[in-house]
Amino acid sequence: MVMEKQRRQAADWVYGGVWRVLTDWFKVPHAGDAPTLPARSGEMLKQFRPADGWLRMVKFLFWLFMWIPDVAILAGWIAVTVVLPILGVILAIPALAVAVLPDVFVYVGIHLKYDTTWYVMTERSLRIRRGIWIVHEMTISFENVQNVSVRQGPVQRYFGIADVVVDTAGAGGGGGGKHGSTMVANQGIIEGVENAQEIRDMILARVRESRSAGLGDEEHHGEHVVAATQKLGFTQEHVMVLREIRDEVRGLAKSA
Amino acid sequence: MEHEEQHYEPFDPTKATRPDPALLHYYIIVSLFTVFAFPFVMLAMYFKFRSLRYGFDEKGISMSYGILWRKEMYLTYRRIQDIHVTRGLIQRWLGLASVSIQTASGTAGAEMTIEGLKNPEALRDFLYLKMRGVRDVGHEHGAKASEGGASAAVVSGGADDEAMGLLREIRDELKRIRASGGVK
Repeated sequence: MVMEKQRRQAADWVYGGVWRVLTDWFKVPHAGDAPTLPARSGEMLKQFRPADGWLRMVKFLFWLFMWIPDVAILAGWIAVTVVLPILGVILAIPALAVAVLPDVFVYVGIHLKYDTTWYVMTERSLRIRRGIWIVHEMTISFENVQNVSVRQGPVQRYFGIADVVVDTAGAGGGGGGKHGSTMVANQGIIEGVENAQEIRDMILARVRESRSAGLGDEEHHGEHVVAATQKLGFTQEHVMVLREIRDEVRGLAKSA
Repeated sequence: MEHEEQHYEPFDPTKATRPDPALLHYYIIVSLFTVFAFPFVMLAMYFKFRSLRYGFDEKGISMSYGILWRKEMYLTYRRIQDIHVTRGLIQRWLGLASVSIQTASGTAGAEMTIEGLKNPEALRDFLYLKMRGVRDVGHEHGAKASEGGASAAVVSGGADDEAMGLLREIRDELKRIRASGGVK
């Protein structure tokens, strides 16, 4: 038990140190420093991260696949040692480093990715922050959303999480590049959340409410039409007074 | 409109016409990475920096750069689809960011990338509050009524009474003229 506690403390200390370096030297935003969106007073503002299930899933996948390169390196090292024992001894430490170091980096990277991924939602828009070396933030207003979908693979289902994909008509499908498939220019991906359906329904409700096609047309088109007819159409009262004016003019014309 | 408290100064669109000198430093560092091509890349980058101009007006953003090969762009706030803010390591060190604006056009990259402005968050908030679906519609109507003058006045409730009053006055005038024996 004591060992476990010490191990955990050491891990926290190392991870804290990594974060210190990142924030102080590399100016990565602090883990707790969530992005925000300018919201009206009383407007809903939700800041959230991927669910714990996402972290568990990525770690599960990590343990599932990490041994493959390690076993390959071990097999290679054993083969070398059998043929040339001296070379095997010399290569022991480099081989161990090659096998273990990438695993450590990936493992720390998983935690860093989890800690640096943020989603912010208001009633009107969505902001996604991702990335450590290149910090990328994208902002979408729901008015511009073309399509919302939920996707879930079998492993994600086991961990009770899903992705919400929010598409806009923005330029550059596939040209996003820099952050791989999770940072396509016109697509906001809310990765690894437990309430994916709920988020989807919320965004969809907003999209249905909107009367525009999300392509730069004037919002609430219907209201403008109503306003225009009101502008031209007189009320009953106006018509009555106009009739009286007509009658007066007729009377004038007769008496003239 | 009330917003959350901001820990940076609001964006001033009238002052943002030239990039910050830090952008030139950024360009120098970036072109150093090209090693052998450095002199050529640096020269091109320097020209871009020297000629880069931004303009933020009521309706949209203009951007132009280039000396031999000029490029001028203009896009309206309303057509903004999404806003991306990308900060690489060197940009973070220099306090810069690239603010890319996507429109619905078919080009692969961003329609316009604004770089070299300090306080990118303030710029983003400025653009964000002008995006469709974010602006207050009521606010928008208010602005139109004040600038549109007479035609807009008809739409609002108070002006209806004004039109009504005018009509009544005309009627009463006509009545008076008829009572006094018509126009002589």
